[in-house]
Amino acid sequence: MKENIPTSLAPDVGARRHLEHDWYAGGIPANVRFAEGVYVDTSYGFAAFHSECAVGLALGDAAGAYDRTTFVVGPAGQINVGAYTVLNGTYIVCNGRIDIGAHCLVAWGSVLTDTWADAAALPVALRREVLRACAADPARRLPAFAEPRAVVLEDNVWVGFDAVVLPGVRVGRGSVVGCKTVVAEDVPPYAVVVGSPARVVRRLDADDTEEERKRAVREYAR
Amino acid sequence: MTEARLFHPLTPGAELLGDWFAGRIPLNVVAGEGTVIDSSFCFKHFYSAREVGLKVGGRTTIWRASLAADEEAVIEIGDECYIANASLVCSELISIGSRVMIAGGVTIADSDFHPLGPAARLADTVALSPVGDRRRRPAVETRPVRIEDDVWIGYNAAVLKGVRVGAGALVAPGAVVIRDVPPGAEVAGNPARVVCE
Repeated sequence: MKENIPTSLAPDVGARRHLEHDWYAGGIPANVRFAEGVYVDTSYGFAAFHSECAVGLALGDAAGAYDRTTFVVGPAGQINVGAYTVLNGTYIVCNGRIDIGAHCLVAWGSVLTDTWADAAALPVALRREVLRACAADPARRLPAFAEPRAVVLEDNVWVGFDAVVLPGVRVGRGSVVGCKTVVAEDVPPYAVVVGSPARVVRRLDADDTEEERKRAVREYAR
Repeated sequence: MTEARLFHPLTPGAELLGDWFAGRIPLNVVAGEGTVIDSSFCFKHFYSAREVGLKVGGRTTIWRASLAADEEAVIEIGDECYIANASLVCSELISIGSRVMIAGGVTIADSDFHPLGPAARLADTVALSPVGDRRRRPAVETRPVRIEDDVWIGYNAAVLKGVRVGAGALVAPGAVVIRDVPPGAEVAGNPARVVCE
């Protein structure tokens, strides 16, 4: 049955491993590491995963990638995801480095990208070159069209639905990015940023101590 | 050969003919004459255990929508509404009047899904994880959302907890509505502001 599902976006299918519950035939690339208790809904999220790094994506203990979570990763892309982090339908574009801490909540429709550019850095001639290169590639990889700038979500960050975190941004520990907020600058720890343009509207207590974390792992697990 | 049909009457307990998703319409649904839906997929995250978890009037059209409801949740929708590709995420009460248009990509939620405080939020990540116990999720504040009659909500807008959108109001595409909208007003932006009384 599964042979009918196109896998043309995932040419190195032989090296991939399959999830038992998966509706998509593509499989998980060999350089994706799952720690204990990791759950991934479908390998469809890896259809455009082209990392050639020894470890292109590492998912920490009991991390989960649900629903339409998608990893669009170039040859030099490396993503690290901490323990207990929930990726619930996010779109991650990585040509360099994206680090997502432990206990993060990343909601549906949100985008984390280390590659984007403003018009000045991406003149029309270059835009055309990028898309022609993509069109000429049987695997339709989109080349990295800008110098990637690392994105960091520190531990216990919450990114709301449809938010966008742009290249070079570091979101500090415990902070919250409101729904549909576009974040172009660093967010300090324990802050809530919302709106367009994004602004800090609230500060939070730094009550997520190591002791609290240990207690949560003890009491909220099955 | 049976002709493929996009819409089916919203009938409690029904398995829809030709449904691509292997589900059923929940039993605790009440719907009026002429109300239709495309797939049981709309109920993928519908966990309401209330006697009536979803109450819909007549001649309403629902398709490609997500009617996500927690155990205690009630979703009410009036007559002649059109709800396409929207997410209703309900923990307590989302009440939608009659002749309401909800465009694609809209999210309406009566809670913020997770606690705001860092320690409680951290605990929620553990409870939600593959090894977690969802029944122990920390409580989050819920505040009912009310969309009154003849409201139109534009593409990709969000209406968040506790908001009442007054009769005849217009929510512009992309607006994030966090405060009440007066009847007949137009709101736009993130956060949404009144642009026209």
